[in-house]
Amino acid sequence: MKTMNKLIYFILLFILNWNGINAQVNVCFNPIFNGNKLELNKQYFIPNSTDSIQIETLKFYISNIEFFNNEQLIFKEKNSFHLLDAADSTTFNLPVNFISKTWFNIIKFNIGIDSTTNYGGALGGDLDPTKGMYWTWQNGYINFKIEGKSNLSFAKSNDFVFHLGGYQNAFSTLQTIQLPVQNSQVISINMAIDKWIYEIDLNKQNHIMSPSKEAVILANKLSTIFSVSK
Amino acid sequence: MKIKTIVVSCIIFLLFAFVSADGFLFTTPKNWPKPIYNFKKNQLTDSKILLGRVLFYDPILSRNNTISCANCHSQYTAFTHVDHALSHGIDDRIGTRNSLALMNLAWHRSFMWDGAINHLDMQALAPISHHDEMDENIKHVTEKLQTSKIYPLLFYNAFNDSLITGENTLKAISQFMLILVSANSKYDKVKRMEVSFTKQEENGYRLFKQNCASCHTEPLFTNMEFENNGIPIDSLLNDIGRKRITQNNQDYLKFKVPTLRNIEFSNPYMHDGRYKRIYEVINHYTNIQKSKTLSLKLQKPIILTSNEKVDLTAFLLTLTDKEFLFNPKFGFPKEVLLK
Repeated sequence: MKTMNKLIYFILLFILNWNGINAQVNVCFNPIFNGNKLELNKQYFIPNSTDSIQIETLKFYISNIEFFNNEQLIFKEKNSFHLLDAADSTTFNLPVNFISKTWFNIIKFNIGIDSTTNYGGALGGDLDPTKGMYWTWQNGYINFKIEGKSNLSFAKSNDFVFHLGGYQNAFSTLQTIQLPVQNSQVISINMAIDKWIYEIDLNKQNHIMSPSKEAVILANKLSTIFSVSK
Repeated sequence: MKIKTIVVSCIIFLLFAFVSADGFLFTTPKNWPKPIYNFKKNQLTDSKILLGRVLFYDPILSRNNTISCANCHSQYTAFTHVDHALSHGIDDRIGTRNSLALMNLAWHRSFMWDGAINHLDMQALAPISHHDEMDENIKHVTEKLQTSKIYPLLFYNAFNDSLITGENTLKAISQFMLILVSANSKYDKVKRMEVSFTKQEENGYRLFKQNCASCHTEPLFTNMEFENNGIPIDSLLNDIGRKRITQNNQDYLKFKVPTLRNIEFSNPYMHDGRYKRIYEVINHYTNIQKSKTLSLKLQKPIILTSNEKVDLTAFLLTLTDKEFLFNPKFGFPKEVLLK
């Protein structure tokens, strides 16, 4: 009985001393094209030209979401693997159960799937290979997938297909993004898809479907398109 | 009191047996290395193994339900494709490589002739999706399984969930492949001092250790490495081997060293099945042409007299494990698939 009382005493002490935060933080991603929210299959005209482009598929992984207070890691989401698919806008809103003593001012996350997870065998949820984001002839997740049409592409039906993936050394396409954020329960992150795709010369390059130097170059450019919307 | 002690120690023993990495369904043969496969993430159970075995033998994995894993990996030929130099898949299409024999897979850290696959669980995705093999995709496979008469119950029994996912499908197939352990050949029995080699086999074993064992390392009879064994490239197939994966020139014409266990039944040999008989393979190794990426272990010529070649062959035949080749536990699950 004595030990029971002690236990209750410690639990009460803990609760009374807990001034921490336990809140839902919504991390929202907004893919942007020509100034507005990206719409799939919409014909967009490339500024100052008569060329056009339309996006038919946009799917990518956001993983390992971490919150920092300056340099200090204060919260890390568990099993942090999210497949975002432009065909289902609900997947662009990631609710995180944030628990920490202090609030954060920096958010960090990966675009893609880390090497350890790529070696992890069959996984479920958003990592299930039925999600269409896993290469089969050679192992590995596709970190970022974008497909569409443009008159600039000479491929069949003017298609372009970029499947960016690869997790081994020189061909690693994983990107880590770090953004300063304001104290808020809604973090809204813009992704300038137009900026990224306009940098590709679709005349010369209209597909990537395996780990390669070219995939690494395009993946590196992804890291510049994220910004926190005010 | 005594009875009580015995009962308690039995319970403790059983508890430990359950928590051991291998468990009852998989045991590491004596003096073998520790398996690479992480059984903790996919613990073997009878119902999962049965599900994996049914999937392995069911052509439902292919686009038009005609080709099963067993088509190119039949038990009686050490789980490879008998009489086929190159694997033969859906719509009579022919692949570019000889299907590998399946055994002792828990000890492998990569799969396929070029090591393209990094984990046993993900292995089955390659043949399921390959245009010349099953020409299907895993999402559609799970949809077909979900609407079948037998699978929702088999998945429920195995995973306590009748919702069929890619993850569970692949894990079940892994479970069946993991129990395909071949460790009961004459060679193994000699090692366990149960029987002894003939003089000829003994001499063959000596020659084997001198000339072959650096790549075909005991007890698995492969060092799991990628080597160029000196066979010239087939200009029609133009298969560059491991370089396709690493894009590194040093890996040009390198292929994974295959196991020699059950070699008597796993013909034809080499990544493109170019040799039908064991003597052709041995003759290749005694006539190696030098090339840029030739294995360092083959730089010194291998010289064998014709008698020595016969002795070496006699030893290689001691790697046949009939219990493995004819074990009904690994065979077609007629009790489920023919119901």
